[in-house]
Amino acid sequence: MLAQVLVGGLAAGCVYGLVALSFVLIYKATRSVSFMQGELLMLGAFSAVVLVEALGWPLWAAAPAAVGLLFGLGLALERAVLRRAIGQTHLTPVLMTFGLGLMIRGAVTGVPQATHRMHRLQLPWEQPIALGPVQLAPEHLLVILATVAACGALALFFRHSRAGLALRACSEDAGVAAILGVSPSAMHALAWGMGAALAAFAGVLLAPVTFVEPGMGVVALKAFPAAVIGGLASLPGAVLGGLFVGLSEALAGRYLPDGVKDLTAYALMLGVLLLFPRGLGEAGRPR
Amino acid sequence: MLTTILRMGLVLACALLPAMADAATPGVDEQSIRVATIQDLSGPIAILGAPIRDGIVMRLDEENERGGVHGRQLKIAVEDSGYDPKKAVLAARRLLAGGDVFAFLGNLGTPVVMATMPLIVGAGRPHLFPFSPHQATYLPLHPLKFQIFAPYRDYMNAAVRHLVAENGYGRVCLLYQDDDYGLEVGRGVEAGLRQLGTTLAERTGYKRGATDFSSQIARLRAAQCELVVLATVVRETVAAVREARKIGWGVDMLVTASGYSAQTHELGGEAVEGLYGVSVLPHPYAGKDTSRRLGEWIESYRTRYDADPNVWSAMGYQVADIFIQALRAAGPDLDTQGFVAALERLETSRDFLAGPGYRFSADDHLGNRRGRMARIVDGRWRLITDYLD
Amino acid sequence: MIQLAALAALFALAALFGGVANALAQAAFVATFALAGLGLVLIVGQSGQLSLGHGATMALGAYAQGVLVAAGIHGALALPVAALAGTLAGIVASIPGRRLGGLFFAMSTLALALVVEEGLLRLVPLTGGAAGLVVPPLAVVDWRLHSPAAQAAVSLGLLGGAVWMARRLRDSRLGRAWRAGRDDESAAAAVGIDLGHVRMLAFACGGALGGLAGGLYAHWLGFLSPEQFGLPLSFELLMLVFIGGVRSLSGALWGAVVIVSLPQAIAAIRQAVPWLEFGAAGLELTIFGLIVVALVMWRPAGLWQAAR
Repeated sequence: MLAQVLVGGLAAGCVYGLVALSFVLIYKATRSVSFMQGELLMLGAFSAVVLVEALGWPLWAAAPAAVGLLFGLGLALERAVLRRAIGQTHLTPVLMTFGLGLMIRGAVTGVPQATHRMHRLQLPWEQPIALGPVQLAPEHLLVILATVAACGALALFFRHSRAGLALRACSEDAGVAAILGVSPSAMHALAWGMGAALAAFAGVLLAPVTFVEPGMGVVALKAFPAAVIGGLASLPGAVLGGLFVGLSEALAGRYLPDGVKDLTAYALMLGVLLLFPRGLGEAGRPR
Repeated sequence: MLTTILRMGLVLACALLPAMADAATPGVDEQSIRVATIQDLSGPIAILGAPIRDGIVMRLDEENERGGVHGRQLKIAVEDSGYDPKKAVLAARRLLAGGDVFAFLGNLGTPVVMATMPLIVGAGRPHLFPFSPHQATYLPLHPLKFQIFAPYRDYMNAAVRHLVAENGYGRVCLLYQDDDYGLEVGRGVEAGLRQLGTTLAERTGYKRGATDFSSQIARLRAAQCELVVLATVVRETVAAVREARKIGWGVDMLVTASGYSAQTHELGGEAVEGLYGVSVLPHPYAGKDTSRRLGEWIESYRTRYDADPNVWSAMGYQVADIFIQALRAAGPDLDTQGFVAALERLETSRDFLAGPGYRFSADDHLGNRRGRMARIVDGRWRLITDYLD
Repeated sequence: MIQLAALAALFALAALFGGVANALAQAAFVATFALAGLGLVLIVGQSGQLSLGHGATMALGAYAQGVLVAAGIHGALALPVAALAGTLAGIVASIPGRRLGGLFFAMSTLALALVVEEGLLRLVPLTGGAAGLVVPPLAVVDWRLHSPAAQAAVSLGLLGGAVWMARRLRDSRLGRAWRAGRDDESAAAAVGIDLGHVRMLAFACGGALGGLAGGLYAHWLGFLSPEQFGLPLSFELLMLVFIGGVRSLSGALWGAVVIVSLPQAIAAIRQAVPWLEFGAAGLELTIFGLIVVALVMWRPAGLWQAAR
């Protein structure tokens, strides 16, 4: 029984973790907190739905295409709007992303097909998979595997690829990176593009679990505390923060009084913030 | 204190009614009758608001194509509150200040309804058939408040008693959404169990937008529930049933009319087979056993809106239809008092939408209290009982 | 003066299109939201702290008012208690600020807003929980404020008083300390300003205004439920002060005009233009988003400053 609850929490935690990753990726490279990740997630899922339902693409092609589209959107938004946030206080990007989020939500709401019914991305198989005493739904297994894969890919990207190393250098010290020939403005754009793509990735994975509708972005409200718990500047911290929140919620929902589950993420965040003002991810590191 | 205010309002409204009969009735002239509806088209329950609006508008247009009611064309102003009571109050005030609205029809959402209803009836306008489970929409009796949607607390009470009598469940549990909807359902289920001499074995809640139900289902399973009542909407219904089936728990589940939707089996697939539900108006399925009239209606809806009608479209259509029937009964000399009197005498029969038939009286403004049992069999809802008392 | 003339012109426009009663009802909501916005201007614009949970102060004020009036306490006497409830919420919100800076602190205020919403849902005996709370009209002595004119008069009167107090605060020693801390933390600390303390006072003052606004809002709506006071309200207030201009006290008023009246104007246009009536449900959202983005990009000091 307990294992089953934990598996559910693990799958939820993976989604939180992926969205938290997108927050952290953006924050590290641009010092901005994005308030539109929920909307990007929703838009990513809707893009996949459009490709599957309207254009008849298979899921395996539609999903990466949706992520790619959102990567492009992230780049475009950076060029058109977010670039102006460079050098401003942290309020500027908060407001910009909030405004962009409203626009995205408004645009989706304006499409009748999006609000008249919920949509779903159909996975090729439906039967739960038995792992010993634990039953695993295919969509949960997919979420968990995809999160592991995404973390692996990101780790390779940041360790071995030119762009990844440049992005890391930029996050550590933009001035020094510029001297070494890295273009900070290109890295700024790359960070926003990747942040949007990661949110879309999470949205596509969430689509079989919660279905696609304009309100599905609220999950970002849980991912945010996860990112903060992880220290907001640590990629592994973000994923661990997400898992921590997901598992704690599952346990709280099972054993604590009604209503505690929905507050768990924020209670944990407050506790962590007050005990470790720099987040768990950085708590152990020397300054 | 509160009841005195309400009583005073009642007296005042009664006193006002004859006075208004002399003056020209707002929103009515020789050529047209103008009504209004406050919907949520851009907020959290836009998924309900859009089909409701479409259903209402479709019925009014049909009537207009046939020449209107007693020669008057029906016009409707649709306001989008986005589920924000502040916007709704301003919209209601704007419509009322214009002095050009005969009645409000099918307003959507409890905060919206509760904030605007005092203004609307205060201005002497009928407040008809709102989409809100709040008791204040029909009780205490007010000359201008009418409701047709069976309250959760009435029909869930009957539904639970019916299922327990039929299948002999010992332990009944509840999974509920943390808002006024979940609360109303809880009241009905508890009242039903009290009549049977038992209580809820376990109850657990969730917030709108929740994604993971594994802990709630585990909790219910640990309580060894034999029937789980779901005060959920479509998405959560599917998630909860799938979670239970996934862990191999075949418990019987019963969902309210809010989860009685074609989307429940479209999205839920095989997992939701056998789910019990309550229907206050059947889903308009197109198929070979569909009546000709219903088939035509579905086709006409599709042509108009490029979408399949759902149970919410049917409800919107029903709201407008009862309004039109009352207008017809009120006769060609239309005023508010005459309309209210006609509505209080109205008794509708079952039509092609297979609703229950609604009946009002001078001391009961709730047109229906009953729902009927349905069950998902072979991927669609089948009605398994008539309307239950 | 120009501002007053512009407001009067807008009011006349609203009255022309929707009737005087409707324009007055709008004015009551505008003034109420401006009151809450003014509180947020003190916190964000003056003391430089980002609060993502200002809706919580309004929530507590509204519920304090609603519960007291339901218990038979006179509405006019309950309003100070509503303000006090907001003050307490503000003080509690400011506590993590002594340990946390900037964005992390902002996140803690967001958490507070969620905790308050959940608390209101759970305290069923007091708040009615999810079933909500019906609030009777505000009464001053024996005069029951039903009419939009009376509502507008009370809101505008209190807003006027609040603006006067906020001006005095802004020009006081405390106001200078707020701005010193906002512009340069270490310099302010070096001249002996206790930043934690002065920021707590900013939250207390801002919370009081939020609570007062909540108390009025409870009456103007007549029905309270916890979901009305969720995060969207806090974000709406934040949007309000940024649209108006976060650094100026009059910014709150202009922001409130946009937040309250723009959707009404759009709705009126929709009714007038038939082909718009049933289409594009998300138009308001998109327009608000555009306004916010455009202002941040081109007029960071807010709408009114832009017009000058």
